[in-house]
Amino acid sequence: MDEQPGLSDEYRKASPWPVFVAFGLAIFEVGIVWPLFPVAVGGLLLFVGSIVGILRESGYVANPWNGLVTASVLCLVVGAVITLTTTGSVHLRGLAVLVGGVVVLAAGVFGSLFESTHA
Amino acid sequence: MVEAGQIALTVVMGVLLVAVATFLSRYEDWRSYSPLASGGSGYVGEGSGQAHHSEKPAGIVRWLTTVDHKDIGILYGAFGLFAFAWGGIAVLLMRAELATATSQIIGANFYNALMTTHGITMLFLFGTPILAAFGNYFVPLLIGADDMAFPRINAIAFWLLPPAAVLIWAGFPLATLTGGDISAAETSWTMYTPLSVEQMNPGVDLMLLGLHLSGVSATMGAINFIATIFSERGESVDWANLDIFSWTMLTQSGIILFSFPLLGSALVMLLLDRNLGTTFFAVDGGGALLWQHLFWFFGHPEVYILVLPPMGLVSLILPRFSGRKLFGFKFVVYSTLAIGVLSFGVWAHHMFSTGIDPRIRASFMAVSLAIAVPSAVKTFNWITTMWNGRIRLVAPMLFCIGFVQNFIIGGVTGVFLASVPVDLVLHDTYYVVGHFHFIVMGAIAMAGFAGIYYWFPLYTGRMYQKTLAKWHFWLSMIGSNATFIAMLILGYGGMPRRYATYLPEFANMHLIATAGAFIMGFGQLIFVWNIVTSWLEGPKVQSGDPWDLEDVGMKTKEWAWFERKRDTAITVTDGGEEVATDGGEADSADADRDET
Ligand code: HEM
Ligand SMILES: [Cu+2]
Repeated sequence: MDEQPGLSDEYRKASPWPVFVAFGLAIFEVGIVWPLFPVAVGGLLLFVGSIVGILRESGYVANPWNGLVTASVLCLVVGAVITLTTTGSVHLRGLAVLVGGVVVLAAGVFGSLFESTHA
Repeated sequence: MVEAGQIALTVVMGVLLVAVATFLSRYEDWRSYSPLASGGSGYVGEGSGQAHHSEKPAGIVRWLTTVDHKDIGILYGAFGLFAFAWGGIAVLLMRAELATATSQIIGANFYNALMTTHGITMLFLFGTPILAAFGNYFVPLLIGADDMAFPRINAIAFWLLPPAAVLIWAGFPLATLTGGDISAAETSWTMYTPLSVEQMNPGVDLMLLGLHLSGVSATMGAINFIATIFSERGESVDWANLDIFSWTMLTQSGIILFSFPLLGSALVMLLLDRNLGTTFFAVDGGGALLWQHLFWFFGHPEVYILVLPPMGLVSLILPRFSGRKLFGFKFVVYSTLAIGVLSFGVWAHHMFSTGIDPRIRASFMAVSLAIAVPSAVKTFNWITTMWNGRIRLVAPMLFCIGFVQNFIIGGVTGVFLASVPVDLVLHDTYYVVGHFHFIVMGAIAMAGFAGIYYWFPLYTGRMYQKTLAKWHFWLSMIGSNATFIAMLILGYGGMPRRYATYLPEFANMHLIATAGAFIMGFGQLIFVWNIVTSWLEGPKVQSGDPWDLEDVGMKTKEWAWFERKRDTAITVTDGGEEVATDGGEADSADADRDET
C-alpha cells in the first residue's frame, strides 16, 4: 500500500513563511513607490524577517540571528548609498531602507544575546 | 494632517508586525512534530471524500501554509476563477454600455478603466494563474514526481498573486474612498507611453506595481516548472515518453523565463519615468516607441505563454475521447518547441502602423507568417486524431472540439493581420479584438474548461452534472461565436477599438456582440453552479478510472495515482488502524479539522 500517494516524504507539507514573504514584498514595494515611510519600513521588516525564517526552516542558514545580521548589512549598505547620494523623495526612500536595516540589525543582535543568556 | 496620517500608518504597520510575530510563534509551537515519525496517517474526511494527511494543519491555516503542489494547484485555480469573474463582470458592464451607440449607462472614463482592468485581469490574473493551476496539480502527477522541485518557492509564487490583484484592482474602491484623488488606471493593457506617463493618477502606479508582482510570481513559477520537469521525473519517465502537457508547460516556462523579467524591467522604467523624472520613454530620451518595442517583445511571447499549455491540454484530452493516440505526437512536440523559439521574433507585427522601417516590417511579416505553420501542424494533428476515431462527446471532449474550431478562426484572422497591407487597414479596429478573443476566450478558456471537467473526478472524487456541463458548453460556444464574429465584421466596417460610443451605422453588430456576451455570461453562471454543487454533493466516482481510459489503453499516470489514492483511503477507513494521532494533534487548531 502506498501510504501517501503523490506526497513527498522529504518535505514538510506546511510552512508559515511563504505568505509573509509575498505580502512583505508587496507592502515594501508600495511603501517605496508611493513613498510612505512607515509602510516601506514595515514591509521591509516583514520581507527580510520571512526570508530569514524560510531559509532557516529549509536549513540554508543554521542560526536565524546571524541571518538577520547578514541581511541587515545588505539593507544598511543599500540604504546608506541611496540616502547619502540623493536628495528629496529619493533620499526619503533610501532612509526607509536604512532605518529598516537598523531595526533588523537590532533584532539580530538582541536575539542572539537573548538566546545565549537562555542557553 | 499629514503627520497624523504618518503616525496612524506607523501604528497600523506595528500592529501588523506584532500580529504576524505572534502567529508565527504559536505556529512554531503546535507544529512541533516530525513528519516522518508521524507515520503519515490519513483518513477520509466526511465532506470531500479526500484523504487528509495529518501533517497538514487544519482549517484555513492549512491553506495559508500549504506547500503541497496539489493544494497550491487548487489555490491557483480558485484564484484564477475569481479573477475570471471580476474580468467577466467588467466586460459585461462594458458590453451593456455598448448596446447603444451613445453613452447611456457608464461614462467614457469609467469605460476606459473597466477596459484596462478587464484586459490586465484576464491575461495576468486569470490566464497565467489558471494554467499554473493545472501545471501545479498535474505535472508532478504526470511525470511521477513527489512534488514540485521547490515547494516553498511554489507557495511564494502563489501568494504574490493576491496582493498583486489587490493592487491592480485597488483603483476602483479607492476612487470612491478618496473622492477621485486616486482612481482606476485608464491606460489599456498595453500601457502605451506617453499616455501612461502623463496620467498623473497614483492608481496607475498601484496597477504597475501589481503587474510587477504578478510577473515575479510567474517567473518563480516558471523556474520551478523547469526544474521539476528536468530533475524530478520518475524512473519510468524519460524525454521520449514525457507527456504532451508537460512538454507545453516546459516550453511555456522557458518563454516566461525570457519574457517576464523584461516586462518587469520595462514596468520599473515606466514607474521611474512617472515618479522620479527619468526620461526612458520621453521624446528627448528613449522615445515613446521604445516602450512599444519592450512591451511587445514581452507581449507577443505572452500570447504563446497563454496558448501553449491549453494546446497541451487539448493534445492530452482529445485523443482519450477519440479512442486513438495523438496523431504525430513527435511533430506536436516539435511544433511546440518551434513556436517557443519563433514567438520571440514576431513582436513588431503589433507595430506595423507606427512608421517603422519597411524592411523591418517585411521581415517581421515573414516570421509572423512562418509561425502559423507550427500552429497549423497542431491543428491538422488534432483533426486527424479525431478522424475515424470512436468519438465520445462528453463535456471535456466538446470543449476540446470547441477549442479547435475557435483556434482555427483565431489563427486564420491572425495570419491576415500578419500581412502588412491588410494590417494597415485593420489595425486598431474591432477586427483585432475579434482575432484575439477567438483565441483567448474561444480557445484558451475552452481548453481550461475541458481540463476542469476532465479532472473534476480526480480532484473532487465526485462527478459533475453532465447536462449542465453541456449547457455550459453550448452557451459558451454560441455566445463566443456570436460576439466575436460580430466583432470581425465590425472591424471590416472600420469600427475603431477602445471607444465607449460609436456611429449609429455600427449599432446592429454591436447589439449582436452584446447579446452574445450575455449568453456567454449566463453559461458561466451555470458553470459556477455546476462546479459548486457537484463538488459538495455530486455522486461519488465509483472507480479510479471514471473515463474508462483503460479500455482504450490510454490511462495516464495521474489516474493511476488517483486509483492508488482511492485504494489507500479505503484501506485506512475500513481498518481504522491508521488513524493515529501525532504530537501536533492535541491542539485547538484541530477542532475544525473534519470540516476541511
Ligand atoms: C497564428 C498565429 C498568429 C498570428 C500570425 C497573429 C497575428 C497578430 C497580429 C499581426 C496582431 C496585431 C494586430 C494589430 O494590432 O494590428 C495580433 C494581435 C493580437 N494577437 Fe495575434 N496572432 C496569432 C496568434 C495569436 C495567439 C495564439 C494569441 C493569443 C493567445 C494572439 C493574441 C493576440 C492579441 C492579444 C493581440 C492584440 C494585442 C493588442 O493590440 O491589444 N494571437 N495578432
Ligand atoms: Cu503578436
